[in-house]
Order: sequence, then C-alpha cells, then structure tokens
Amino acid sequence: MKPIIEVNHLTKEYQLGHITSLKENVFNAFRRLARKPVKQRENFKALDDVNFTIEQGEVVGIIGHNGAGKSTLLKHLANISKPTKGKVIVRGSVAPLIEVGAGVNPEMTGRENIFLNGAILGIPKKIILQKLDEIIEFSELEQFIDTPVKRYSSGMTVKLGFSIATSMEADVLIVDEVLAVGDLAFQRKCFDRMEDLIKRQGKTVLLVSHNIRQIQRLCNRVILLDHGRINMEGNPQVVCDSFYEQSDRKIKTNIDHSQTRAEGSGEIELVELYFLDHMGRQVESLSYIQNCSIHFKIHVLQELEEVTFGFGFHTTDFLYLTTHNSEEQLKINRLPPGDHEITCKVNRLPLLPGIYSVRFGITAGKAARTIFYGESLKHFQVIGNIPITIRDGFFALDAHWIQENIKVIKTPVISIIEA
Amino acid sequence: MTKHARILMANLLFNKRNQMIRVFKNLYQYRELIAALAWKNIVLRYKQAYLGILWAILKPVMLMLIFTLVRSFVGIDTGDIPYPILTFAALLPWVFFQESASEGVNSVTSNAALIKKIYFPREVFPITAMVTKIVELGISFFILAGMMIYYKMMPTLYALWVPAIILYTMIVALTISFFGAAVNVYYRDMSQALPVALSLLMYGSPVMYPLSLVYQKLIVEQAAGKWSNDFYTLYTFNPLAGIIDSFQRVLLKGLPPDYNALYPGIILTLTILPFSYMFFKRAENWFADVI
Repeated sequence: MKPIIEVNHLTKEYQLGHITSLKENVFNAFRRLARKPVKQRENFKALDDVNFTIEQGEVVGIIGHNGAGKSTLLKHLANISKPTKGKVIVRGSVAPLIEVGAGVNPEMTGRENIFLNGAILGIPKKIILQKLDEIIEFSELEQFIDTPVKRYSSGMTVKLGFSIATSMEADVLIVDEVLAVGDLAFQRKCFDRMEDLIKRQGKTVLLVSHNIRQIQRLCNRVILLDHGRINMEGNPQVVCDSFYEQSDRKIKTNIDHSQTRAEGSGEIELVELYFLDHMGRQVESLSYIQNCSIHFKIHVLQELEEVTFGFGFHTTDFLYLTTHNSEEQLKINRLPPGDHEITCKVNRLPLLPGIYSVRFGITAGKAARTIFYGESLKHFQVIGNIPITIRDGFFALDAHWIQENIKVIKTPVISIIEA
Repeated sequence: MTKHARILMANLLFNKRNQMIRVFKNLYQYRELIAALAWKNIVLRYKQAYLGILWAILKPVMLMLIFTLVRSFVGIDTGDIPYPILTFAALLPWVFFQESASEGVNSVTSNAALIKKIYFPREVFPITAMVTKIVELGISFFILAGMMIYYKMMPTLYALWVPAIILYTMIVALTISFFGAAVNVYYRDMSQALPVALSLLMYGSPVMYPLSLVYQKLIVEQAAGKWSNDFYTLYTFNPLAGIIDSFQRVLLKGLPPDYNALYPGIILTLTILPFSYMFFKRAENWFADVI
C-alpha cells in the first residue's frame, strides 16, 4: 500500500519584508525592459528540502524550536499553503485541528457555531444533526449551548471547538497544540478521544506540540525540525532527548552573557571557576550521576582568618537548589595573601539534565562577615540519559517503586487522582 | 490557422470548459458550506438590530425617494410608467449588483482567519457574499410587489425572465469579485477604489433615468452626430444597461427583453469571466501566505 502522506523535497520560501508596492513593481518592469538588474527582496526558507513519508495508522510527532517550520509544514499538509518547490501528496481527507476555534464566531450561539464549524470542516449537515447531542455532551456546555459564544470563557470556547473538530471523520488528523486546553478533567477527555482515534480507529495523526512529553507518549515516530530541515527522525525517546539537549544548549548560549551578580569587600577576588569531570578533564558541562569537582581559584589581598567557603547550585531563575558550606569539612584558620585554590568534590551529581548556575560565597572572622558573594557565576548544562519516569524536576531520588499486596486498608480517601 | 495553433486553441477552450465545470462541481460540493456562511453573514448583520433584516431594504428605498425628489426638479421622461416604481425596479438589480461586487471583493480579506487555518476552494467566499445579497434582494422584491399593487400593475408571463436576469447579474458581479478579491489580497487599494468606480458606474447605468431616454437621444435624435450609434453600443457594453432595462421591461412593461441592449454586455462578461476566474485560482495559492 502506498503511504498516506508523501512529502518530496518540500521547500517553502517566503520573501522578507513588505509586499512590493505598485510603484516598485512598475520600476522593476522598466528595469527588466532595460535589462538592468532588478531589485530583489531577500528570501527566507521556512522549509528546506524536507522529505518524509507517513504510513496509514502512524502517529507522528513534529517538534522543533519556534520558527523551525512546524506550522508551515502542517499548513502544507492541510493544503493551506502551496510549496515553492517539491510536492506534498496526501491520499485521504485531512481534518486540521490547527488552533481549534478558528471558525468559532463570537456573535453566534454555541449551537449555531456547531453547524457553522461543521460546514467549514466539511462535515455534512446530516452527520452533524446525528452527532449534535454527542458534540454538546462532549463539550460539557449543555447549559450554555444557546448563549452567544462571546459570553463564554476562553476555556469554554476551546472546548466547543475541540468537540466539533474531533467529530469529523477524516483519514488524517492534524493536531497543533490543542491538547493543553480546558481544565484537567476536560484535558483527560481530549486525551481519551485522541487515544481512541489513534488506537482503536487506526487514524493517522500528526501532532505538533511544545509539550515534548505528550509527544513522547502518543507518537511512534518523531520528526525534529531545525531551521526548516529535518534534523533527526525516528524513535521518540532518542529524538526527544536530543531535542532536550539542543534546547538546553540554546538556553545556555542565550544566558551566558547575562550579568553575574557578585560583590565583595575587596579583600579577596574570584579569579577562576572551572569544572573537572570524573576523569579529571576540564569540562563545560557535567554529567548526571557522575562524579565531578568544582574548582575556585581565588586571589587573597589581605590576610584572612577563619575562612569559610560555601557554594550552591541554582536555576537560571534563581531558585536555590543546594548549598554546601565548608565549615565542618575544611578548617582554615589563616589565609595568607596570594593565590589559592579550593575544590569541592561532588559525588554522583544528582541534578537532572538541564541548565543550572553556580553561586559562591566566602565569610571570614569570628562574626562570619561576608567578604565575597556571587550568583550566576557560571552557567552549565547537565547532560545524560534518564528514564522517562523522572523527567520533571531538578533532582533524582535514589528510589524505586514496589507493590505490596498485603491487605486492603480501609482508610478515608484523601484525594482522587485520575491519571 | 496552422494545425498547431488549432490544437492550442482547442486545448485552451477545453481547459476553460473544464475550469467552468469545476466551478459548478465545487459549487455543488460546497453548497452546505456556502449556505452556512451566508446564513452566518445574515445572522451577524441583523442579530442585535431591532429592525433586523428590514434594514436590507433601506438603501434602495432611500435612493428611490431621493431620485424621485430630484426628478421633480429636472424632469426625466419615463413614458407611461410612474417614475418611483421605474427607478425602484432599476435599483433592485443595481443595488444587488453593487453590493455583491463590493462584498465579494472584500470577502477574501475579511475571512483571513479562515484562510490561514483551513482549506476549501476560495471561490466560496465571493460566491457566499453574493448568496447573502440574494436574500436581501428577495426582501426588496416584496416592496416592489407592494408598489406594483399600489400602481395596479399586473405582471405578465414575461416576468418569468426575472430569474435568468438575476442569474446574469450574479455572473457579472462574480466577474468583478473574482478579479477584485484576488487583487485585494495583495493590494488593498482595490477595496478603496471599487466603491468609487461603482458609484461612477451608477451614473453610466440606466438607474436614475431609463434606457429609452439614452436610446431616444442617441439613436433617434443622433445627438452625438456620426458617433451616435457607436456611443449607444458602447453604452450597452455596460452589462448593467441591459440588465436594468430588461428587468424593467419584463416586470413593468410586459415586454420581452431587448436583445440589442443585452448582447454587447453578455459578450463582454463571458469574455472576461474565464480570465477573472483563472486569475483568482492562480492567485489563490498564495492567499494564505500574503493575506
């Protein structure tokens, strides 16, 4: 059987800047007649030679940074835009759930909008009439269905849009960032319906989302777009991990030049801060659950007494994750002027992959007055592969799950968790 | 004509016919969408208005009153038909044409949100704009019927021509809408220029005065010397001249349409329509990118 979607050498160019004015067009025509060079506007390749095929029943996720070409690609699959070069073949009908509610009109009532949107999506009126009750029930808007949509909350509007769009029977479903709608209960219903469409009805689904975890769960193949090209394609876990690393790296380059906050009394200066990995090599990024060490080179200007060092990790938005003082581990009664190096060894770094920063402080004297304190002194990336079970957060616990079938304990329910 | 050129011509004609067939296929396939969008337009326009759809007839009725007032100063010979009903019968197809064309030209740009989100043949928009206006035209017909009763005029069998005349008016309006709507996506100058052009065209159409007056001046009195006959033909190249005259003849005068007044406009329209439509379909590919 032929694949349901075929994309061959798809290239889409946009011209940058404004549409040329009529005046410029006339001038250009004259220049062409006079065989003089014509003023050309700069072209921007939103998609650059993209090739892939999708078989019937596949669930494919498309991920990438903002402006990577995800939405442009979907627009071509939905036949909204035409390629500059190349070909897009879709063998079957397409239901675009691109931003549901595009056709929802605020002046009309919910019921009127069901018919209008149904028509826009190409659902025959007969089928809408059949499914009307089901659509209204799914949207949970029975009470408000004859109220103009302009009086709806934004969540209600999206619920309505989603309910209409998913009632369409198409071979290919294109979903662009729509599952993050409504309250938790409605999100669950959306997920259930998506899973129903995918698993039981064997629909082909294309999913675009910034929620990478969603993609990882739902898709059996992921395409990573980068600047209009396919950067990577294949196993969701592998592609998503690579995407995480890429975005972390991007965050790091973006914040590297951001100001470090440091102040001191002038008795001491921080000369250098560097990392060594478990092999003793100087590195810029650290590995998850590997040993490493952090080195502070300081220059002492005046002799100091009873010095204590402290360092910690914090996130880029200054959430303090750790603090580690030298007080009980390192006793320094006297620190003469000159260069010194202090090291803190970290065993099995528990930080999850992501971007973090280092803060560092020094106190001296009996009163432990601060003579140096700095935040965001060095940004670094933690890399490493972790199981999906501990994707969120900053730390990994050394923990595991067990099931104990001893007896049914009758205790009052604290909360009902629906997952 | 060489063999090659003949094949080329045949191909071109065939393609044009194919395109036209596609228009009607699309029209049929997307009839529910057109109906739903037209219904939306009507509901939206009159939903929160107390007088509702009665506003639709305001324009032709007001214009009729003004024309009648003006006519009492200048004197326009209308034969044995009372002036108010004659001019109202002219305003019916005119207002329908004018509004369909100007709504049609704006129809693509005003639906930018839909165009960026979902695909269906874009000619649905100009057609929908026209269908919306048909409903308003239908209401105006009630006023006309009321006036005919007032002036004790009985429609004859020739009134059966009316649907054909309206269909022709729709085709003329679409010819302008297709081209205008496509241009308007790129250059919004179109939506500014069109109302001016249309209000000028009104004076070039037998709306305030009957066509018989033009005929009288040019053909009978030869008012423009040896150019008179050519000027008259030129005047009838305006499709609205034939439309309005025929409309008045079949409804008010109980006469068949005057084919001499009709055919130049028909030829012009049918020549331009395929190009206008092809232009629209070619431009359509970039609507979503440019709009």
